[in-house]
Amino acid sequence: MESRALDIPGVFRLGEARRKPDQSFPLNLGREGVHEICEARHGDMAAMTGFALAAARPPSGAVFWVRQFGLAREHGGLLHAGLSRLSDCPTGLISVETRKPGDALWASEEAICSGAVGLVIAEIETLDFTASRRLTLAASRHGVPLILLLPWRREGASAATARWRVASRPSAPNAFDARAPGASRWQAILEKSRQAPHMAGRVFNIELDHETLSLRVVSGLAAHTPAARPAPADIDISQALPRRQTG
Amino acid sequence: MAAANASARTLGISAGLGFTDARARCPDLMHEDIDREADSRALSRLGHWMVRLSPLVALDGPDGLMIETTGCDHLHGGEPAMMENVASLLERNAIPHRLGLASTPGAASALARAWPGHILADGEEAADLTELPISALRLSQEAETLLKRFGLRQIGQLYGIDRKALGRRFQSRSAADAVLLRLDQALGLRHEPLAPLREAPSHVSRLPCPELLLATEGVQAGLEWLADDLCSRLADIGEGARAFGFHAFRADGEVSSVAITLARPVRTPKHILRLFSEKLDRIDPGFGIDLLMLEARRTGPMETSAPALSGDLAASETDPVLLSALADRITAKLGEGAVQITEAHESHLPEQAERKAGFDGHLPAPAGPHVSHGPRPIRLIEPPEEIKVLAEVPDGPPLRFIWRRVPHAVTRADGPERLAPEWWTWTAPPPPSASPEGVDRKWLNPKLDRRADAAFIARIRADLEAADPGEPVANLPRARDYYRIEDEEGRRFWLFRQGLYEDGRGGAPLWFMHGLFA
Repeated sequence: MESRALDIPGVFRLGEARRKPDQSFPLNLGREGVHEICEARHGDMAAMTGFALAAARPPSGAVFWVRQFGLAREHGGLLHAGLSRLSDCPTGLISVETRKPGDALWASEEAICSGAVGLVIAEIETLDFTASRRLTLAASRHGVPLILLLPWRREGASAATARWRVASRPSAPNAFDARAPGASRWQAILEKSRQAPHMAGRVFNIELDHETLSLRVVSGLAAHTPAARPAPADIDISQALPRRQTG
Repeated sequence: MAAANASARTLGISAGLGFTDARARCPDLMHEDIDREADSRALSRLGHWMVRLSPLVALDGPDGLMIETTGCDHLHGGEPAMMENVASLLERNAIPHRLGLASTPGAASALARAWPGHILADGEEAADLTELPISALRLSQEAETLLKRFGLRQIGQLYGIDRKALGRRFQSRSAADAVLLRLDQALGLRHEPLAPLREAPSHVSRLPCPELLLATEGVQAGLEWLADDLCSRLADIGEGARAFGFHAFRADGEVSSVAITLARPVRTPKHILRLFSEKLDRIDPGFGIDLLMLEARRTGPMETSAPALSGDLAASETDPVLLSALADRITAKLGEGAVQITEAHESHLPEQAERKAGFDGHLPAPAGPHVSHGPRPIRLIEPPEEIKVLAEVPDGPPLRFIWRRVPHAVTRADGPERLAPEWWTWTAPPPPSASPEGVDRKWLNPKLDRRADAAFIARIRADLEAADPGEPVANLPRARDYYRIEDEEGRRFWLFRQGLYEDGRGGAPLWFMHGLFA
């Protein structure tokens, strides 16, 4: 485990090659830089939250969650009991709730510049270019990753490291009960990327593994719909269980 | 007439006179109703301004202020100089006043009312108060009339009267009627506690300004000097403070204040100044500031630990001091309670199983998986929203539902997970039995034979149920059956049915949407 004591950008340590930006999925989401994650359609906010939490590696410092007030009414607030199914974070979340969108951006910037926080996740309504540029500069200067969760209306230019569109997909087949939902699956489209511009527009189909809490990229799988539940009157008892002679 | 000033008294108008009599003495007299609320507000504003002299200022009746000056007189160069300073302060603001200084509040009040400008030496109370009239003792109207009827007009005459007789005659709960109590308070034989307008701070640092400050830069410079002074004093005693208040006293009798609170005790001037810098423009200089004051409250010992020599040896990756500093900066801008952590709470209901609590400088513990729960969603919709559902009766999962006017068709479902209601919040404890022996004791009597005394048992049970019929079934809370649902687009929901069919607790059960899974 390398130590991060002298991880000031621009300082080279002897014997260590410069880290190349990660070209594979998830392109340093949650490891460095500012990533915007947007809904593909209205109602995918929960899928986005799960994707963000699962893709970001467990941070070494505290996790700061900044949210804007109105979004909790529309998409629901965060439930901490559901966090353990998505990521194993060594510390709990510290959350900040703000009324104005400008305050949420200010709080995110303060958290990045403080040096006490390992990861900042912010749920905000909208973001203009100047603000995204400021946040990107601050994140690269201090080495703290920032994930922004934005609603589906997000369009336009941005200075962020990458922009993702996440939609939820039908889940994997459940091994124990064919009629129950299985492992969560999402479709993440990398709309824009500064680190790997040739990968822009690429579609990833992702599945969350429950035991290891890691993401797996799967090829587009067709999930078969299970048979409809039979009504109780239709079940024939004599056909269901073969009679056996016991003695 | 509620009160009369000097020019009114020259015309012969005094307090308590009827309006027509006063009109007779002064024909062009205007009349207005007295506004006691505005008077008391003005008095408390003046009291807050007087905090510049001493932290303990209390109200003394509807028209007086009591200022505790122990240890403050040396700042002004002695007690007579202090009285002159206070008099000049009040005169500059055109407030007519009468001042008295003594070692007990009662004596000071008496001097202010009857012998203004006099300073009572320690131990001389009995001698100096002899000549003052009874009305200086803050007694009620009835007590004064009664004393006058006895012919007692001066305080000195009260000394000779038997204390027991005086106490018995004027026995009362209210201090204004208890003559003996008031006399003892004035003479110092009984202690009189003051109720200060503002809690006294632990440490205060003052900066008087010989030239009136009009600009914010001056205020900023003054605050820096005060912060350095206060923090060095805190460092001398090894403590830090968690709340700081900054007050700017203006020359025209007003005070302007800002305050900050911190998550951990602090004594670094830079940290404090940074937190104050955002609020400093709320200080209004007005016509000029002539005193700046910085107070420290909620002091406590500071934990200082030597920082690790290199990052490799640091115990944890998060520096709690930096984290508290971040929380303080956010709290200073966004208000108290902006930074929160979530604590687990024992409850069946998912919306009450977690509570938000303020951040207090320690990293929160991670939310461990609760072994006895089913899977929980990542987002919770609070309060749960009602939905229309088509489902199999009695306990099948939904087949179709409409939420926020959008229909969804269900492809997969899991459940139900039943959360029983918290019955202990609804049932009342049994009432205490009325009879001395108690029907309960007979019930617990081990000698009771179930077959022989069946009639007796039945009668006692009927008595118990008649005494406490219990909550009717229709009012009891309903259980929730939670289902994990996936619709054809892949979205996963957490919804519940409130109640069971035919459980007698009120009609057909309703369905609600409670959470969203990732």
